[in-house]
Amino acid sequence: MQTRRAFLNRSAAGALGLTALQQLIAKGAIQPPHHAAKAKRVIFLYQAGGPSHLETFDSKPKLAEMHGKPMPESFTKGQQIAQLQGKPLICYGPQLGFKRFGKSGQEMCELFPQMGSIADEICIVRSMWGEQINHDPAHTLMNTGSILTGRPSMGSWVLYGLGSDTEDLPGYVVLMSAGRGGQMQPIAQRQWSAGFLPSKYQGVKLNSVGDPVLYIQTPDGLGAGGQKESIEAIAKLNREAGKTLGDPEIETRIAQYEMAFRMQTSVPGLVDMSKEPASVLDAYGAVPGDGSFASNCLLARRLAERGVRFIQLYHRDWDHHGGVKKNVELKAQEVDKPTAALINDLKQRGMLDDTLVVWGGEFGRTPMSQGGDGRDHHIKGFSYILAGGGIKPGISHGATDELGYAAVEKPVSVHDFHATMLHLLGINHLRMTVKYSGLDARLTNVSGEVVKGILA
Amino acid sequence: MANMRLDLREEAVKPNARGRAPIVPGNPEQSEIVRRIFTTNSMQLMPPASAHKTLTAAQKDTIRRWVAEGAVYEGHWAYEPLRRGAATASIDGFIAAKQHAAGLTMSAEADRATLIRRLALDLTGVPPAPTEVAAFVAGEPYIKVVDRMIASQRYAEKQAMHWLDGVRYADTAGFHGDNPFPAWPYRDYVLRSIHENQPFDQFTREQLAGDLLPGATTAQKTASAYNRINRVSAEGGLQPKEYLAKYAADRVRTTATVWLGSTLGCAECHDHKFDPFTAKDFYSFKAFFADIKETGLVPDRGPKAWGALLDLSSERDRARRAPLAAAVESSKKAVEAKRAASKRDEKALLGAYEKGSLAWTYQVPVAASATKATLKVYNDEPAPGNIGEAVTEPKPGDGLIVASGANPDNETYTITLEPGAGRWLQLGVQAMQDESLLGLRIARGSDRLMVSEIEAELLPERRKLRFSTAASSIRFQAPEQHPMNAIDGNPQTGWGASTYGDAPVTSLALRFETPLATTAQSRIVVRILHDSEFRKATIGRLRLALSKGLAMPVSEQRGAKIQTGLSAAVVAALKKSKGKRNDEDQQTIVAALDWTSPAMEESLTALKRAEAALGAVDATAPRVMISESVKPEVTRILNRGNFMDDSGAIVEPAVPAFLGKVSGTRLDLANWLASRDNPLTARAYVNRQWRLFFGAGLSRVLEDLGSQGEWPTHPELLDWLASEFVESGWDRKHITKLIVMSKTYRQSSTGAASEKDPENRLLAKQNRWRVDAEVVRDIALSVSGLLVERFGGPSVRPYQPEGFLAALNFPKRDYSASRGDDQYRRGLYTFWQRTFLHPSLMTFDAATREECTVNRSASNTPLQALVLLNDPTYVEAARVFAQNAYAGGGSPEARIEWAFQRAVGRAPSARERAVLLDLYKSGLRRFDSDPSAARRFLEAGEAQRLMAPPAELAATMTVTRAILNLHETITRN
Repeated sequence: MQTRRAFLNRSAAGALGLTALQQLIAKGAIQPPHHAAKAKRVIFLYQAGGPSHLETFDSKPKLAEMHGKPMPESFTKGQQIAQLQGKPLICYGPQLGFKRFGKSGQEMCELFPQMGSIADEICIVRSMWGEQINHDPAHTLMNTGSILTGRPSMGSWVLYGLGSDTEDLPGYVVLMSAGRGGQMQPIAQRQWSAGFLPSKYQGVKLNSVGDPVLYIQTPDGLGAGGQKESIEAIAKLNREAGKTLGDPEIETRIAQYEMAFRMQTSVPGLVDMSKEPASVLDAYGAVPGDGSFASNCLLARRLAERGVRFIQLYHRDWDHHGGVKKNVELKAQEVDKPTAALINDLKQRGMLDDTLVVWGGEFGRTPMSQGGDGRDHHIKGFSYILAGGGIKPGISHGATDELGYAAVEKPVSVHDFHATMLHLLGINHLRMTVKYSGLDARLTNVSGEVVKGILA
Repeated sequence: MANMRLDLREEAVKPNARGRAPIVPGNPEQSEIVRRIFTTNSMQLMPPASAHKTLTAAQKDTIRRWVAEGAVYEGHWAYEPLRRGAATASIDGFIAAKQHAAGLTMSAEADRATLIRRLALDLTGVPPAPTEVAAFVAGEPYIKVVDRMIASQRYAEKQAMHWLDGVRYADTAGFHGDNPFPAWPYRDYVLRSIHENQPFDQFTREQLAGDLLPGATTAQKTASAYNRINRVSAEGGLQPKEYLAKYAADRVRTTATVWLGSTLGCAECHDHKFDPFTAKDFYSFKAFFADIKETGLVPDRGPKAWGALLDLSSERDRARRAPLAAAVESSKKAVEAKRAASKRDEKALLGAYEKGSLAWTYQVPVAASATKATLKVYNDEPAPGNIGEAVTEPKPGDGLIVASGANPDNETYTITLEPGAGRWLQLGVQAMQDESLLGLRIARGSDRLMVSEIEAELLPERRKLRFSTAASSIRFQAPEQHPMNAIDGNPQTGWGASTYGDAPVTSLALRFETPLATTAQSRIVVRILHDSEFRKATIGRLRLALSKGLAMPVSEQRGAKIQTGLSAAVVAALKKSKGKRNDEDQQTIVAALDWTSPAMEESLTALKRAEAALGAVDATAPRVMISESVKPEVTRILNRGNFMDDSGAIVEPAVPAFLGKVSGTRLDLANWLASRDNPLTARAYVNRQWRLFFGAGLSRVLEDLGSQGEWPTHPELLDWLASEFVESGWDRKHITKLIVMSKTYRQSSTGAASEKDPENRLLAKQNRWRVDAEVVRDIALSVSGLLVERFGGPSVRPYQPEGFLAALNFPKRDYSASRGDDQYRRGLYTFWQRTFLHPSLMTFDAATREECTVNRSASNTPLQALVLLNDPTYVEAARVFAQNAYAGGGSPEARIEWAFQRAVGRAPSARERAVLLDLYKSGLRRFDSDPSAARRFLEAGEAQRLMAPPAELAATMTVTRAILNLHETITRN
């Protein structure tokens, strides 16, 4: 495998190529950081479909008492409602048992024992709340901080602000996995778009099955040697034309081809987990190439090690309009172990302190039943897990009311969450702005406050 | 309303309740704004510290001085009436004047080869043919080339690209399931309008209000699709009121951006902070569109899909259809008559069911094979599967057949059954869902299942078994996928599934023409043919069954008894007392009795045949969503844009108050939009056109000519051009021609901009840029010889990586690339999937058109390199390019020279020749020593192959591929 230097020394005008490459290694716009950063990177374990907080991290004994009784109107009157429009609203008690874990005694569903075993590392935020009750716009809000289409995703903002720590890989990577149960709600590509930021900040989807990155494969029959020769020839020709045309874009293009070639080599190596020790694979429950959430968590750690700034895993699907008990059981089997393994793995490698790990979805689920055994979409209160990267471990923050309906104690909006995330990365959310449409546009839109209570 | 407005003078000089005015003209000391910017009181200082914005001493002084001098307001440039300028004005005159003032001069004209390539790329998006270049270099008059190109269909295609970005034209809904909707005829409308140079004001009227025009023609109604191609959602649980508000807001944003170059959209939740638009203006504008028939949830399947549609069948199509429709009607009557005359024995049916005589007997195949795929029969071991909880996992012994391994586009499965002795009436085929299957979870790919034909043969007699009739369990059966197609002996037709249903099993029941008697030695060989144009639309997991009774094709949720031959819904309905049955129960029972009564078979089969025939014709009938005017909904101002807030005032249709007093219908709006009274439209249009030919608008922020946009570099030129547009009768081609005929346009673009004008706003040279996404494709296809030019028509699908659409659902689906000529169409015609736009287009900054876009960025990323190097479309182009280079004959040097010239429009230099020759020779060495590598490299794509020595051709291909990857190839110089 060629080193970058060796590659460059082979090209005709190596010195020029070097400059362009360094430009490529996007230095962030926030230089120096607004304040000391705790986190260098983010791993977002996005539980798509809307996990029920009531069967995961928010225990509501009062809701159990109220099971089968009508939901008091005082809670629901005037509120947005999804598929339960026009239907009777009946309380549906928690379907799974809760337990306390660790020294911190944090309470969570007993079907998440592995996450329970790291209860002292994590922070449970029980007072999240959102604004959009359908999946597509809710994803948009969680990802971009706005319900309007066309805004940069949080990964793009972070990459824009901090630049990338890797020369061989995109700075913002998205992975997807699908498990059992749920409805596999679609997730649009715009959720990792750079919006009005330059497109180099967009998320790049890494496929865990098949070609890891689109078009990463050299055409069959050409071979790596042939590819390299072609790229070198193209660079020479571009440089030659550059002499007459005087087009500064040419240098950038030459650099992009070099980067593309390096990606072709580094990306397959990245997704090849066969060399990971069996103990590591077992800890995650990952089987190389199976495209599971577990494998993606391990991939996330490898990406983090290689300098990727923002790593977002989507795991589908938690949209449990029916059979919430059975389906959360299934999901627990899929996510409990790998989430804990990832956090432990990061800790062991000394990376947890500067990696912010987030676990959560686009909304929660209603305390009222749907279809007799499910729950509808719910935005007024839901739970998120945060760990590492400057988050205070072993605490819970905020609370919903006694029925788990609304965030009443220390509510955390999506903007508050974004502000806090940026804060941990050394960015003042009010000061990372880009002029757009007459606004000083920012990830947190026009609100958001750093949640000081969860900072270490 | 804001409490203090400084943008309107009469507001700014008004004293407040305490008698203080923001501005007292001539008296800075009394003016609050001056006081506030100079105060030492930090509580009162403006801007406030929290804004992190400060004024310099010079800036403060300027404001003070301005107030002292009378606080003279000038209207914002974009809202002032157009100023035509002198009769002798010209583009070059305006440009030269500013250059002169800055000490700059125009550059020399570009060399002819560069100039014609530039013209071709700008005007048509396709590079000039070598003969064209030669003729022009030899002296053909420039104006002739210009006229020829503007008159071409290619010009319309190029211009259309940009218009479609603005009106956010796409082929899919845009939210959630993002399913295809019928919009392409609107694109045809736009193409024709541009090609025929329809006046822009009429173009405007037809799009906004085509349906309201007296005696509206088909074209005019088609144009009204403009109001329907906003994003729509079919997500269950959405609140209709919310989405109606979203759709309406989208219309306001889009119309205001495209016609008025204004960010009226900002006023959805509050008065505009910078421009004179109020929230009331937003909702008054929205009110013009309140008569458009639509629902918040726009169904994407079933008879009500997509709301108001226009059937665009030609007269000939209608003539073809009429007798088929009549046949369906008369068959229906015959069925009804037969029902009335037959004994409808519900008890017998229920009895047969309960006895088990309707049951399907699952067959465990003794052999199963496919042309290329591997078929495995799961007997004693459980089959792997993942479909959540919905499906009953087959028990060992159920004979599940799973396809794996090679996944060719077309396939035939051959399955041999040994049913044992018996008397069988029907064959059943069941496709089982699995999460691993990309096509609706039942097909191995594509966005549908398509079975062309099912054949059966009895062994050892070798007797072909004929089927008399067929039925399937599919709820939303697409018209062209009728079950009868699987047994009609015609491989062009097929049965399948393409809309999402919720059934984990999809069943087909085929009735033998005569009951089939088998012995212990009998074997039935079933062949399932998948021969359609849809790639990999092949069954992934299936079971075969036979029934001794007239079992129904059944599919069930959640562990029900599929094999019983009657669905639970039928059984439940039968068990209800007659009085308790609803309409659905009735229909279910009628269908069950029909299928299970031998007496009904003949008339029913005739009806099915008629339906299948009609379905085939209906499927090809072009349709388009249109505006249908109904009684307008009440439009209220939504406080803070909150759709749940009904307390806002009701508003009538009106254009923004500061621009005029116009109310009425969409037609009135359209008339005003493209009228002399409205200074914005012409400015917005010519400004966007300017960018197409110079790289940036005269006012650079194309979507915002308001105060947050950019002051035009040449306001008089902009106004002159805008006036030309209006006074020429809104002649679009006239504007194009004016621009490209100018000296300014024809300047050379080489070298760097002057230090005095680093961004070249004064255009002392021409600019250069990487061409648009669609044109990147068009260039590669045209120079390689692959491009198939056909004007208009349905969207097409270039090759795309498998699984790219994996994150979609409702339905889960993959992509089936077009075949034949459709694979090689211009980028403009690419199927525009909003939530997952073709990755090659995305990589080159194409707009997803989820929202109105009037500008695109021009990024330069490694992903682009990966596309040009490795995307099969471009690798195939390199191959065909090489074939044509090779077929042209001559030495490798000659071929290299030809290819280079073809792609970039000039001869290679000695150095460039040398580099390419080296590449060729190196390739030749490699492929000579590895002929199989050469063959594999040459396998790229489906286009016709050339018989030629593989090593030479493959080496040539590396050269043509390098040429297609050159910066210069995809740059407009």
